[in-house]
Order: sequence, then structure tokens, then C-alpha cells
Amino acid sequence: MPPPGGTPPLHPPPDGGWGWVVVGAAFISIGFSYAFPKAVTVFFKEIQLIFNTTYSEIAWISSTMLAVMYAGGPISSVLVNKYGSRPVVMVGGLLCCLGMVSASYSTNVVELYLTMGFICGIGLAFNLQPALTIVGKYFYKKRPVANGLAMAGSPVFLSTLAPFNQFLFNTYGWKGSFMILGGLLLNCCVAGSLMRPVEPKASTESKNKVGVRETDSSMKKRQKQLSVWEKINKYLDFSLFKHRGFLIYLSGNVIMFLGFFAPVIFLAPYAKDKGIDEYSAAFLLSVMAFVDMFARPSVGLIANSKLIRPRIQYFFSFAVMFTGVCHLLCPLAEDYTSLVVYAVFFGLGFGSVSSVLFETLMDLVGAQRFSSAVGLVTVVECCPVLLGPPLAGKLVDETGQYKYMYLACGAIVVIASVWLLIGNAINYRLLAREKKKNIHTKESQETEPLKTSQSPNVNIKSGETETWKGAEVNPSERETNI
Amino acid sequence: MRALQGLRGPRAPALPLFLLCFLAAVRRSLEDGLSTAAPFTSLPVQEEITTKYSNLSSESHNISVTAAPYTSLPVQEEMMTKYSNLSLESHNISMTAMPMKENNKGNQICVDRGIMLQRNVTLVEQSNMPVEKNITLERPSNVELTCQFTTSGDLNSVNVTWKKGDKLLEDNYLVNATGSILYTQYRVAVIGSKQMGSYSCFFGEKKQHRGTFNLKVPEINGKNKPLITYVGDSVVLMCKCQDCLPLNWTWYGVNGSVQVPIGVPVNDKYVISGKHANETRLKITQLSEDDQGTYWCHAIFELGESEGHVELVVLSYLVPLKAFCAIVAEVVLLVTAILLFEMYTQKKKKPSGDGKEFEQGEQMKLDDSNGIENSGPRHRKNESVGQ
Repeated sequence: MPPPGGTPPLHPPPDGGWGWVVVGAAFISIGFSYAFPKAVTVFFKEIQLIFNTTYSEIAWISSTMLAVMYAGGPISSVLVNKYGSRPVVMVGGLLCCLGMVSASYSTNVVELYLTMGFICGIGLAFNLQPALTIVGKYFYKKRPVANGLAMAGSPVFLSTLAPFNQFLFNTYGWKGSFMILGGLLLNCCVAGSLMRPVEPKASTESKNKVGVRETDSSMKKRQKQLSVWEKINKYLDFSLFKHRGFLIYLSGNVIMFLGFFAPVIFLAPYAKDKGIDEYSAAFLLSVMAFVDMFARPSVGLIANSKLIRPRIQYFFSFAVMFTGVCHLLCPLAEDYTSLVVYAVFFGLGFGSVSSVLFETLMDLVGAQRFSSAVGLVTVVECCPVLLGPPLAGKLVDETGQYKYMYLACGAIVVIASVWLLIGNAINYRLLAREKKKNIHTKESQETEPLKTSQSPNVNIKSGETETWKGAEVNPSERETNI
Repeated sequence: MRALQGLRGPRAPALPLFLLCFLAAVRRSLEDGLSTAAPFTSLPVQEEITTKYSNLSSESHNISVTAAPYTSLPVQEEMMTKYSNLSLESHNISMTAMPMKENNKGNQICVDRGIMLQRNVTLVEQSNMPVEKNITLERPSNVELTCQFTTSGDLNSVNVTWKKGDKLLEDNYLVNATGSILYTQYRVAVIGSKQMGSYSCFFGEKKQHRGTFNLKVPEINGKNKPLITYVGDSVVLMCKCQDCLPLNWTWYGVNGSVQVPIGVPVNDKYVISGKHANETRLKITQLSEDDQGTYWCHAIFELGESEGHVELVVLSYLVPLKAFCAIVAEVVLLVTAILLFEMYTQKKKKPSGDGKEFEQGEQMKLDDSNGIENSGPRHRKNESVGQ
């Protein structure tokens, strides 16, 4: 097992039992978060007519929702760090419901941006981050499988929500549909209620112990020095930006997301451009979603195997490279059958990348800092995710052909994969070297009590230090007794 | 186009003896555009006419293309020059006759390859499926309708007639025979709705082979699916026509089975507008359940009228509210059930609560396989011991 670059988990992750229920809850939350912005596009053609605007103005609703969902990551992380996953997800569900119900009463596009885009987006952000975090808290040994299963929510919900939205529209019109979708989003609260916190609420005892500790004068001085930065880090761990693995991951992902989503969005128009009819073009997307649905848990299983797990970063890089090569080869597809083959392979690539996307981050920073990490990652990824498709669209408009767009996206993704590969190779080497060094120093330091040098380390770790320390007091006492 | 290509398929083997049923009816004729067929070039008169009107909209719809000599009647030319400012449109239908079982009399059958073909013939059932073609006309134009009949029998004996609807047409048509193909062409200047309708050419005494041209005004697209709205809302109904420019649009609502014009006394409730000439929009405000029903939009052309319809459904706001409340109830139920279940299991655990924490710590110590971090807890333990 590679050493996770952060602190060890507070309590041993159950790796089963209630954990699988939590995976189911995360499945629902993640499903809604990723699928909902895409599924509402079903309504846009009709709404455009009713609100008397252009299609691009309406399409901004979806982009706003996605942007706010990503940008709301840090807020979500702060709240999760403070209150845990459960309350945040439930508040998220309520916000989504509020957003959609007020959207059903809106009279112009701007109101839709505010209600659907902003409020719903925040609500979805409050669903996504905590769901990912709690999977990391509940699993360690089987974490890749759990992640893969939880991420599979996205394609499943997308393929269910899209036709369901169509049905809702045909039965209730857009106003009624929005209201009912608001109700449906309340099910996120159900998912939230299932997300039982891992650690029991035995924090009162530990707080007292910490109080005792803090009265020590020499400690106090040192604490005051770090208090401002420490306070911020308590809520959102900005020290992650010094974390080597995190930086490699972040930079690689930013490059990758520039060229990642555009091929999905342009698949149907590309097919239509080749002369394929509307329904077959839509079917390509269904094929992709279907393969994606099964690829995610399977790849999670593969990533969990003894062979892959220690080298999961390499696996991630290879998955990204596979997707990039797929895009590069896409222009070779001339007829419908080859496009279907491309869709299958793309689904595989997309699924495998998505499946281990957050698993690799957890692997790099550890479960404790993961909630801050995912918040920071999503807010930075916000830019390429939003800029990617319009830029690709511009490329298509300039060159007049989809071929160049696919080649460009493929190239970008391959570059990202190479960067990740090299970066992680270096990171693994350095980590192995540090590990050896630490083992040597540990052996030499075991004989001395290192109060002074240890305390800053203890302080810098997030607010959970208190409870963490509290948990440690009991076994340490026991040990000294022995 | 696909329909045509599909139909070309069965043509290949042993086809001259099989009666083909071309049903190119579905395709709108306007979309065909200029065909790849060469215009009739053999006669100087013909050439003159086509070059004369070459700048106007010329429509040729040919399924099979062959050039044939013509003998033009003076009447025809007169009519053409009279309406020389109108566009010229040519439409062709091609039919091939097949020797049929019952016609063993001999005068219409040409058994080419002897017994083999006869066998083929007897195996196949004959159905005189009429060949139809739909032609969309928007403006007044000169229309040329051509039927081609291919048979291996005696062409001179074939009787050719034209009919409009049920009325037999006496003049304005030509008949010509070349080789084994019999041509007949009918020309009509369509200037009003009276000239619109179904024109058919008939070959044979018993009127066995027939080709039909349906002259229609462009179709209007309303909406196939009903529009769902709520009480107190406003809605925009739209009718659109693909490539046409109607002279005027009118809207009708349905009261019982009678169409009642809308917007005639101009009021606030109904507003008729349209961004482009090929579409019309009816905005209805302050909807109530009485406004439910089908609305018809009529497009008025020089050559007639065409209509489309939009269905409007007005629901009360209670309908989705009920569904919403049902879902909210379900969510509240599930959440309370889950939280109660959790409290119940926690209570069960509580008596052995302290012991559990104890165990957890121990497990943590043993379980910690995080390499470097093993050093961490040990240091802290030393530290707390030191205090």
C-alpha cells in the first residue's frame, strides 16, 4: 500500500457494513449532482420559445448550474469540515428543492439563472463534496470499489432523468415539471440522512483534555503565532497547495478538463454532420452512457486489485491517455458503425477516468484532507470545465470541421496524461525516499520525548485534532499502564 | 431520397416484366429541386419554352428520364404564352406495364423469354397499385404533368385518358410514343383554387394503369403534442410553414364542432403576431379552463387555404402540487424512519459504548498500516505520557 500523503484516518474505516448503505446514498447524491444539469437541457427547447430568447441564453442556465456547483466546492468543504457530511447534504437537498420550486414561478430568463442556476447549483455543490468525502471516510481497503460504485450514479441518473424529464414535460408542462423535480431533489435529504458520521460524538471528553493541554504557557505562545493561518486551515486546508501530489493532480486535471467534456457535447452534432439522423445520433450518446455505467464499478474493482492499487496514479494516467487516444482516432470514423465503436471506447475511457478521478485524489492527500482538497480542486477545475466546450465550439466554427476539434481535444488529454504520468512517477520516487528517511529518523527518535518539535505538527493538523487526540489519550494511557 | 433509392432496389432483376409501384408520395415536391434529368430537348419549341422561363421557378420531378420528341398543339402554346409570367413546373410519373395473368389474350403481353417468364408471372400476384405524386404549389404557375408508360405490347392500342378528380379532361394533353415507351403530357395553368386537385392519367381500356398527381397548397405545421399550461398563465401558440409565404394568417378556436374566428374583435386576451412571414403566433393571456381545446391556424394562399392545429391543455395548479406533496411526504417519511432507526441502534450500542471506544483505539493501533504515520501516534503517546 502506498503511504497516503496525509494523516491517517481518525477511526478505522469500517470498510463494509453500513458503508455500503453510505455508498448507495453517495450514489444518489453524485447522480443528482452530475446528471441534473445535463438532464434539464431536455426542457430548454420549449422554454426558449416560452421566454422568447435565443437558445444560447437558455443554455447558460446549465452552464451556470455547473459553474456554481464547482465553485461552491470550497464552501461545501468548509461546512463538511465543521459539521460533517450529513447536515450539509440535507441542506443541499432543501436548497435544490427551493431553487426548482421558485424556478417554476419565474417569469424571465434572469430569474431562471438565479433560481435554477445559482440556488440549485449551490445545493448540488452541497451534495457532491460531502458524498465524495464520506465514501473516503467509510472505506480504505475497498475504497476504489466504493468510489467506482458511487460515481456510477452519474450515468445511471442521466439515462433515467432525461426520458423522465421528457415524460414530465408531456404530462405537466414546464412549470409542473420544475415543481415535481424540486420534490424529487428532496430525495437528496434522504441520501443525506443515510450518511451517518463515522466517529461517535465523544468529543466532550477530548475537549477537556485539550483544554488542559492548552494552558501550558510555552504551547500557548507557539499557538498564537500560527493561529490566524491555522484558523483558516482549520476550515479549508490551504496548506494543500504545498502538497506535491496535490499540485501534480491539480495541474494535470486542469489540462485534462479543457479537452474532456467537449467531445461528449459535440458527439451528436458531429454524427449529424456526417449525415446520420437525429435518433441514431442520440443513440450514440446512450451507448456511451450505457458503457460508462458498467465501466465505472468494473474499473473500480480493477483499481482495487493488489496489482493496481499501489500504482493507482499510473492507472489514472493510462486511463486518461486511453481517452485521449480515442479522441485522436475519432476522425478516422467515417460511418455509423465505426462511430458506435468510438462511442463504446469513449464510454470506457470516460468511465474509467471518472471512476478513479477522486480515488486518486484521496490516495494522494488522505481521507482527512480530502474534503478540503476536493473543494479546492473543483473551484480550480471550474475554469477549464466551463471554458472547454465554448472554445471547442469556436474551433469548429473557425475550421468548419469537427475533425480538428477532436484532434485538439485528444492532444490536450494526451498531454495531460503524460504530465500526470511523469509527475506521479517523480512523486512516487520521492515518497519512497521520504519513507525510508522517516523510518531511519523514527528509529533514532523513539528514545527521546519530542515535545517541542511535535506540538506544531499537532496544531497544524485540522480541527479534528482535538477529537483525534482525545481518541489517542485512552490507548496511550493504557499503554503506559502496561 | 431514401425512399426512392429503396424502391430502385427491386428494379434490378427481371424488372421490365414487373409492375412497379412507385410511392414517392411522401416527399414534398419542393424539396426535390431541379432534377438531374435533362429537359426535353428534341423539339425546338420545347427548348424555346424552357429557355423562356428558365429564370422563373422551374420544377421538374422526374423519376425516369428520357428525352422524347413532341408534337406540340397550337392550343398548348397559346395557353403558355397567356400565362407566360407564371413559373413553369414539370412533373413526371413513370409506369411500366407488366403482362398479367388474366391478360393471356395476347395483345398486351410480350413474353420475352418464353416459358421461364411465364412461370415468374404466374407466381406473382398482381396488384394495380396506383402511382401517386404530391405536388406542393404556393403561387400560380404553369404545370406540366407527364406520364410515361412502358410496355412490351402494342402501344397504339393503349388508350390514354386524363381525368381531374372524376371529370374527364378533353383537351390540353399530348400523347406520343417512342419505341416501347408511351408518353402523355398534360398542361394546366394553375391560377386559383379551382385548378388544384387530383389529376390522373390512365392507360388501357379498363383504366388499369393509373398515375395521379395531387396538387396541393403547402402544409402548415402546428404542434403534434398538446401544449400544457396552467390557469392564469399566458401561452404562445405557433404555426409555421417550411418554405412558404402565405398571404395572410387567421386563427380559429373550436366551440363544440364549430370553428370560431379569434382576434376579430381585437382585445387584450388574444394577440396575433409573427416574426417572419412564414410563421404566425397567437398569444393568449389569462388562461382559464374554458380556453382548453384545439386551435386552428389558417394560411391563405392565392391557390387556396391550408391549416394546422395546436392543442391546448389548461391544468389547475393543484395537479402537480398533489404529485409534489406526495413526494415530500415520502421524503419526510423516509428521513424520519432512517433517523429513528439510527437512534434505536445507537441506544442499543450505548451500554457498551465506553468499551467500544476502547476497542476502537486498540484496533486503530493494530490496524495502522500507513507506513510513515506509524511514527506519529507513538510520538504523541510519548508526549502525553511526558505530561
